[in-house]
Amino acid sequence: MGELFRRLRYLLFHRRFDRELENEMEFHREMAARQGRDRDFGNTLRLREQSREAWGWTWIDRLFQDLRYAARILWRSPGFAFTAIGVLTIGIGVCVTGFTMLNFLVFSFLPVRDPASLVRLQRRSPEINTAETPYQSFLFYQAHTKTLSAMFATMGSPAMELDDDLKPVSIDFVTANYFTELGGTAETGRLLDPHRDDSAAAAPVVVLNYMFWQQRFGGDPSVIGRVIRLNKKPATIIGVISAFSANLDGNDANVYLPMKQQPYFVAGSTALTDVFSPGGVRMWGRLVPGVTVKASAEELLALTNDLRKLYPKLIWDKEYIHIDPGGHPTILQPEMLRAFALIAALLSLIFIVACANLGGLMMARSVTREHEISIRIAIGANRKRIFRQLFTESLLLALLGSFSGLTLSYMGLRIISSMNPTPAWVSFAPDWRVLLFVVGIAVLAALFFGLAPALQIARQRQRKTIVRQILVGAQIAASCVLLIVSGLLVHAVLHMMHTDPGFGYEQVIGVSPGLDSHGYTHQAAQSYIDTLRGRLLGLPGVRSVALSKISLLGNGYTAYMTEDIGGHAVNIYPNWVDTEFFKTMEIPLLRGRNFRPGETHAVIVSDSLARKLWPGQEALGQKFGDQKDLVVGIAGNARIKALNDGDAVEVYWAMQPSDMAAMTLLVKTAGAPDELPPMMKSIVETLDPKLFPYIWLLKSGFRDYTKILENTALGVSVLGMMAVLLASVGIIGLVAYAVSQRTKEIAIRLALGARPMHVLSVVLRQFLIPVLAGAVVGAMITAGVSQFLHKILFGISNLDPVGYAGGILVLIAIAAAAALLPARRALRVDPMSALHEE
Amino acid sequence: MPMSFMPKPDMPPGALTLLVLRVLQSGSLHGYAIAQRIHVLSSEVLAVEEGSLYPALQKILLKGWVTAEWGISETNRKVRFYRLTAAGRKQLQAEMSNYDRVTEAIQTILRTA
Repeated sequence: MGELFRRLRYLLFHRRFDRELENEMEFHREMAARQGRDRDFGNTLRLREQSREAWGWTWIDRLFQDLRYAARILWRSPGFAFTAIGVLTIGIGVCVTGFTMLNFLVFSFLPVRDPASLVRLQRRSPEINTAETPYQSFLFYQAHTKTLSAMFATMGSPAMELDDDLKPVSIDFVTANYFTELGGTAETGRLLDPHRDDSAAAAPVVVLNYMFWQQRFGGDPSVIGRVIRLNKKPATIIGVISAFSANLDGNDANVYLPMKQQPYFVAGSTALTDVFSPGGVRMWGRLVPGVTVKASAEELLALTNDLRKLYPKLIWDKEYIHIDPGGHPTILQPEMLRAFALIAALLSLIFIVACANLGGLMMARSVTREHEISIRIAIGANRKRIFRQLFTESLLLALLGSFSGLTLSYMGLRIISSMNPTPAWVSFAPDWRVLLFVVGIAVLAALFFGLAPALQIARQRQRKTIVRQILVGAQIAASCVLLIVSGLLVHAVLHMMHTDPGFGYEQVIGVSPGLDSHGYTHQAAQSYIDTLRGRLLGLPGVRSVALSKISLLGNGYTAYMTEDIGGHAVNIYPNWVDTEFFKTMEIPLLRGRNFRPGETHAVIVSDSLARKLWPGQEALGQKFGDQKDLVVGIAGNARIKALNDGDAVEVYWAMQPSDMAAMTLLVKTAGAPDELPPMMKSIVETLDPKLFPYIWLLKSGFRDYTKILENTALGVSVLGMMAVLLASVGIIGLVAYAVSQRTKEIAIRLALGARPMHVLSVVLRQFLIPVLAGAVVGAMITAGVSQFLHKILFGISNLDPVGYAGGILVLIAIAAAAALLPARRALRVDPMSALHEE
Repeated sequence: MPMSFMPKPDMPPGALTLLVLRVLQSGSLHGYAIAQRIHVLSSEVLAVEEGSLYPALQKILLKGWVTAEWGISETNRKVRFYRLTAAGRKQLQAEMSNYDRVTEAIQTILRTA
């Protein structure tokens, strides 16, 4: 300990210590001279340096020396420095952008009070997980928990009509303590107050989101106190949330309403009183300081078991409350990890291309430095020192590239977030994690591109073409992976846009009257839907009306069962439909028959499911599941709820009267459906003024799906093009270098009458193998890992030959162009002047 | 004469540290005096050169076996004097007994082998 302290003290006062040592050694020499030992003491500076080494800090001096030298070297060759920093800026900037996003979403805290103690609470059992909990259960946990200092909840609800606006507003019911618990502040007016707004009897109030206030009310502060109508229910605006207050879990509704007033706004709803009513609340809590997540989970499990005594049918077998840290913009789910890993892998390919590229550049450059290095070795520099110096140079380059990459990434993110509606508190300013990443990736880059060349130069072994070839091969392989992936995605987009998806959606309108959220019984729902169906069929241009329990394309949630069939996990998408469904959705019945009205225990499976469950057998008449359900028909494949997943299969049950209140109507029109929704809306509302139906065109839902795929394909294609352009810059440089190295040889060949093609092949031969090998390796890597892509390829095989061929062809074409461009110089060599030069 | 100033190449490693600590046992000295004392006490057989003395002194300072303080030399010059610390005294004892043991062992082998 004392030694470390003395070492540090030396570092702090090293100037004084140095002076003292110098003085002391001078005195020594004086005394020696005085005693007649007048002689040469050798290099006094060197002696002093040797003494200083004992303190173990000379590496700092050397580092600064090396850095100064490296800076001077780069300054003297600005062309090289700019190219290298440019390549690194792109390669590293892409990765830094990825990490900044990840950091923002997963690691950074929301600007709320004490985010570290926030937790999200969800019902789970080994089989089921859901985000929603019945309100009464929430109240039970809230009343009894001792490990959570506070609990609060939010409840989503269908969008509501604001006054006479065409566009509905998204709303969220929140417990009255929601804003006080999060420490939210009001831009103007006030937010919900647990003392005033926690009652069904209180005057109905509305809190506006900042961005919505800006868009809808033009940021007018006088809206406070104004009465607006939400779904025709008057309510008073009491305040606007500050732009710098965040909501939990990306939950940004346009308006916030007090939970207790939910029955007022959604007439007939029993969500707050009936634990079996559809919909529930999302629970949040705050851990008591010092209480661990585990202790809280144990307490909540005990409470769940108490709750089972109150509602034996509500609580599942082995139910527990799952706790996630809640204070981050995104709560990391296991399935996200896979997506993150995929993105990280694609981004790191760009990084690899950039490093390999720069590695090649450094190798070519080493030739020009041969002279300098041999002089330095000749005057006594040891190889270790030379190596250290060269590596410092790489490190300096990498750091410059890394920080310029950070700047580029920050500016890019700023531009993107200014073009999209982004809450004011969102910031991509680098924090310590991002800075650590930037420095870390710079060191990694320096190791990748600087280590091999530095070793080679220091050992004075050069012109090893094999290393350069490996570097070219690595760039080609990494670009190849990106291009093939983008080829697959582009093909998937084309496939999706130009192939029949197996169902018709262009002329279908979805109508979700929301009967269950307004407390309809099955019988009431049955008669309502019968009337509604009759009225809809009476509209001009309506061909058929079908019922479907699962909402399709553009509305509703997705439910699926994962079943193990023949050792593979298969996602089965269920639906409960009436007899009109297959006709309306244009899904062909391949074999067997349609459902019959009022039928129970009848099942229709998709062709894909039949083939998986009963390969080589007749599926009709088979028993499905462990129920008494019999397969009566085989329908065409129609992955409506999972367009992107080529493995998804479907199963349909005949709808039962008890499903009636949850049904969605699908209306098929003869012509374009765009004009009909307003008419349908007024029909639904005149039949029951309580209802506020959600009506949408299935084709716009389909388009949203394609949009996501198009954006993914575009993003990966941009990455792929960046990679291949970086790689071709590298190839141009290396071919140009090869030509300049072999000018004499080419001149002799030309003088002896070699044909231009032959000369070209001599120059390019050394690049042919690495390019081809790189393409093959890249294709193999892609094929090896591509089953991860399968679920986003919209039915295209992950080994789709078109995607692979497309990617490789683009790559070879660009690589060939990059090689031929500088190689043409070889043909212009004038034999006479080239041979005269030496 | 210059040859005698070279440190003996076969001086056992660590011996210089031991000698420095030993000559400082009787009181604080400055660098030159340490070299002189070793030279004189060894009947001019051992000579300690600047190039090895000062690195060794730095190492000893770092270890905390001596401390440096300002004093006035015989030529009236302000110069650093080295003084043995308690830790240095302990180190000297340990090294001396260790040295005795090793030389004794070597002597035994030389006599009997």
